[in-house]
Parts: sequence; structure tokens; C-alpha cells
Amino acid sequence: MTAPDVDVVVVGGGPAGACAAMVAARAGLDVVLLERGPFPGSKNMYGGVVYPRILDTLIPEWWLEAPVQRWVTRRSTMLLTETQAVTIDFRTEAWGAPPYNGATAYRPDWDHWLAGHAQAAGAQLITDTTVIGLIRDEHGAVVGVRTDRPDGDLRARVVIACDGVNSFLAKEAGLYEHTDAKHYTLGVKETLALPKETIDERFAVRDRHGVDIEIIGATGSVNGGGFLYTNLDTIAVGVVLKLPKLAAQAQRPEAIIAKMKQHPAIAPLVQGGELKEYSAHLIPEAGLTMMPKMVMDGMLVAGDAAALCLAAGIWLEGVNFAMASGMYAGEAAAEAVRGGDVTANGLQGYQRRLSDTFVLKDHRKLHRAPELVLSDRVQHLYPGMVANVVERMFRVDNPEPKPGLRRIVTQERQRAGVRRRDLLRDGWTGFRSFG
Amino acid sequence: MSIVVCLKWVSHPGEPHDSRFSGMSHADQSALEFALQQAESTGATVTAITVGPPGAEKVLRDALACGAHHAVRIEGPTTTSGTDVATAIADHITDARWVWCGDYSLDRGAGSVPAFIAAHLNAQQALGIIHASIEGDAVHATRRLDGGRRELLEVTAPAVVSVEGATARLRRATLAAVRAAASATIPVVSATTPMHRAEFMVRPYRPRARVLPAPEGATALERLRVLTDAAAASAARGDTVRLEPADAAARIVRALREWGYLAH
Repeated sequence: MTAPDVDVVVVGGGPAGACAAMVAARAGLDVVLLERGPFPGSKNMYGGVVYPRILDTLIPEWWLEAPVQRWVTRRSTMLLTETQAVTIDFRTEAWGAPPYNGATAYRPDWDHWLAGHAQAAGAQLITDTTVIGLIRDEHGAVVGVRTDRPDGDLRARVVIACDGVNSFLAKEAGLYEHTDAKHYTLGVKETLALPKETIDERFAVRDRHGVDIEIIGATGSVNGGGFLYTNLDTIAVGVVLKLPKLAAQAQRPEAIIAKMKQHPAIAPLVQGGELKEYSAHLIPEAGLTMMPKMVMDGMLVAGDAAALCLAAGIWLEGVNFAMASGMYAGEAAAEAVRGGDVTANGLQGYQRRLSDTFVLKDHRKLHRAPELVLSDRVQHLYPGMVANVVERMFRVDNPEPKPGLRRIVTQERQRAGVRRRDLLRDGWTGFRSFG
Repeated sequence: MSIVVCLKWVSHPGEPHDSRFSGMSHADQSALEFALQQAESTGATVTAITVGPPGAEKVLRDALACGAHHAVRIEGPTTTSGTDVATAIADHITDARWVWCGDYSLDRGAGSVPAFIAAHLNAQQALGIIHASIEGDAVHATRRLDGGRRELLEVTAPAVVSVEGATARLRRATLAAVRAAASATIPVVSATTPMHRAEFMVRPYRPRARVLPAPEGATALERLRVLTDAAAASAARGDTVRLEPADAAARIVRALREWGYLAH
């Protein structure tokens, strides 16, 4: 058998790959990090906020050096109908000071920065190199990767696949039992340039403080959600769309964003923004339902490649799951290499770490949430019902006396065509998921 | 026989201060490819050379990965005048038989360094080449002239050849070579003469506005043709004269002024 060239090959220089390479290299392993773009993050995009708490263990006081655009100190959840908006708005100064909570950041900056830490730890970063397949031994164990370079085989004791959503490596290895378009959403985003002062005024923030708005009811007949968040001198506005619905409705995603931008509650926020970038990316949104096997002989799968993306309505997280799973994969790989057993059994430390931490615990707890949030009732009936209830609560119909809230809710529920038992069932599901 | 390829570490014009977008220009990549091809056909060795700060070693490592035998970095600031760069390079490659360069850099774009190197080495020069083929000890090159004309050259050593970006596609380095080049030791030498930091603005190339007479023509199409047909336009004002070099230079400058390419 050919001797391995290195201890660990990490495929993909995103947050998962960078953390995996960083941890494995710090453990003294010979690590190569392969990235297909010209630099880590060059082709990456996401639609939200990064929550880097997990970095506390990897990069102490990471906030002093991380390429952050704004610290999110305002979080809003917005329900929209054609003409109405109900917003729950929360702000805290605590999230604008160490140790911080969430931040907006450009992925080409963020991923580049993280990969720099992997390099500083001793991992060798090789860019412009695409992995096109796995090298396996006669027993089917992964023993390396094949790249698109001449003589491009690289043999390793452990391969960590962090090659993102649609992971070709996890699929080639047969770790995904089945894939279904209904497990994915398409995220599309416009980045609009506005002067910092304008953003500060429109969103009522100062300095490096920023806003993250999650929106339900803005995607028309296609189930999904909208988002709007502030960078330093740009804002990102976009939608996340359920794939089968998008295909069935034959609607263009950019048309859905354009419509959302015209909503009376959104238009004043984005007005005058100069389009700097339009980007799109698939998101693995189905959580536990779609997750592949993450451990096999000689290989681990982390990040989006392992569908570790939490899309649970009020929690929309991915980069933190990627960083954490990458970190645990790096630890498990180091453990396995040191122990001389890189079979699935030797690499089980990865699965154990995922199960014992938020990575899988959050997914288990919230496993019903993605389906609930993207269900037809939540998407198409509840926003209008809630908005009408609120409108009637605050409408002054003198000389009529104020109606009771219970009567309004009943009337609006009936008007929206929501059956009581469905409402109760969804409420119960929500309570069990989020409670 | 030794072959030298001069490489410049340049930023992307749109991202001048971001090293993530920096590297070799396409023109330099073509020059490297020709140097490697020539080395293969003649058995010579290729030395990649650059003038710049430590970050510039990125282009040398890329060259080593692609097959260059040696690499040298001459310590110098990022922005240096073309004459200083050419002097520094020429002083270090006095025994070079062939020097390959990109025709001009992405950030400054004057294309003067290859000419200055040729002058220092007292070598032949074939600059702004759009097609080159290596045939034995010579290089057959096609040079772009104004008005769609071409000049065919047979160049022999010692010579400096600068090529445009589309003349060759740089080979892809093997994975093992990329890994080895990443940890290769790059010799660093000092320039033999002091180098001056050139102060200038890096900005996209914007040609000077010039006044064009209203085109003649009865129809819109005819007027468009008069305006856009480069060959006809330059043929109409072409002028062949035989002059001593100094007079010829003065004549060219005068013509450029008259045509509006130079400020009065």
C-alpha cells in the first residue's frame, strides 16, 4: 500500500475546513488544506449573521482581530403581508461589547482570516485546486483525494470533507442515503452600497452596531423567508426559497427579492442602495432529516457537507455549526492518527463530540422547526392573521367600543381560514421545538 | 545558456490594496510559459526574478511550482520606477541569453522595463509580441503595430522578449511541485544601485480625452465607419519618413500631439 503523503487532508477552505485544519495542525499533524478558489472564501456567500462563540476555545479574544462588519445589537423578526408589517424588535447594548454575540461579516474576509489561523498553526493551504474524487483502498476505506492538478493524487491517513452543500465527496462515499430537492432552499442575496451614516440613521444604530432582520411572508407564493442585515457601508437583502416550490411556481428569485424590496416596510430601508453584488447559494435546511453518515473509514464530513445548518425560524445559523463541526473533526482526526486507528471506529470521537454538544443537540431539539417554519400555514396564513389581529387591536373605531382580543383572534382566525385544531397543533409543535 | 523570466507581483487594478487578489499578470504568465518551453527545447535553465517586498515571493513560488529552476527576489519597494527595476534586474542577470517579460504590468502599464533591460544588457529587443514560436536558437515573433499592421521578427540571443497576455497559457503546476515550492528557500539579494520609491496613484487606465473632427459621410453608417475603422483612419494620416533617431523621436512626439494623444 502506498504510504500517505500527509496525516490529514481537509477539502474546502470554508469555516469548517479552516477550523478542522487549524485544530489538526495544532495537534502536531501534517495537514494540507485544499481550496478550489484563488483564496479561502473567494466563492463563498451566506445570508446572515455569524455567531462565533465557539471560537473562544480556538482563538482567545477573537473579536480583537476578526474581520467583522458590524456587531448585531438589534434583532428583528418581521411578519409581512402585502400592506402590513408586524415586527418584534429587540436590542441590547450587551451584544455590542466583549464578548459579543453575533456579527455580520463578508465571507471572503471571514474565511480568509480563519484559514490564516490554520496556516499559522502549520497547515499548508493549497488554493486553485479542486478535489475531483476520493482515493479508496481495496476495502473501500478512504486513503486520499484526487485533485484536478497533474499528478494530483494526495494520500492521507484521514480526509476531512468540508466541501460544502452538495458535498461530492460525501455523496461519492455513499454517506448520503438519498438526497431530495425538498431538503434544500436556495438563498439569494443582493448587496447594496449605502453610506455608513445613512445606514446608521435608517437602522437607528451607531458605530459598529448593526441590525439583523428576519422576515416571514415576503416571498409570495414560494415558501421561504427574507432577511436584511447591515454591514458597515452596505446592506444585504435577500430571500431563502424552498426549491420545489420555486420550481413549481416558475418564479425568478431576483423577482421575489425585487418585490420584497418594494414592500412599504422594506422600501425605505433599501432606497438608493447601489447594487454591488448578486449571489446565490444552496442551503441544506432539513436538519436531521437529511444528515448523512459523518464518519467512515478514513473520512469525516463537516459543515454544510454534513448538512449542519440550523434553519429553525428564529434561529438561523450555519457558520457556527461549520466551525464547531470542523473543530471536532480536527480533534477526532488527531486522536485517531495518534492512536493509529483511522477506521470509522477510531474516528468515532467525532460523532461523540457532535452528539454531546450543541451541534447535534440543537438539531435534535429543533428537528421539527424547519418543516413548521416553511409550512404553508406559517408561510401564507399566519402572517395575515397576526397582522389583522394587531391592526384591529390598535385601530380606534369610536364610537364603537374596543373589542376583546379573544373575539378578534377568533374572527381573524376564521377569516384567514385557519382551523382551530391546526392552530393548536402548530402551536404545540412550536412549543415543543422552541420551548 | 540561461533563460530569465521577469515577473512582477501586482495587485488587481480594482483591488489595489488587497493581497488576496495579487499575483502574476496574464502577460507575465505567458512570458513564464515561453521561458519554460524554451528551456525544455534547449536544455537551459530558467531563473525567475522579481523586484519587490517579501510578498512578491508569491509569484516566484508560482514560477518554481510550474518548473522554473531558480528564483531570486531583489529587495525593493512595491512601487519603484521602471528604470530602477530594470537596472536592478539587469545587474543581476548579466550572463542571461534570453530574458522573457510580460509586455506591461497591470498596475502601471508603461511597458518600459523590458526596453530598459535590453538597453542595459545591450541585447536585442522584441517588445509587445502577440505571437512567438521557439525554433532552434531563435525565436520567431510577431509584433503588433498600429493600424492593424504586424512586424515579423527573427530574434537571436542575447535578447529581451516581452509578450502580451494571450500569447500562451501557463501550464498547471503539479500538486507535489506546488507543495515543494511553498517551502522553497528564495534567495534575496539587494539592488546594486539605490532604488527610489516612486510616488504615483494606482488607478484604472483612462486615456486622455481628445478632440475628433466631425466625421464626414452622407449616412449614419458611413460616419460610423469613418469614426470606428481604425485601419482606414490611421492609413489616412500615416506618414513614412526617414530621419535620424533624434529627429524621428521629435517627429513622433509632434505627431502624437497633433493627433491629441499628448497634452500640448
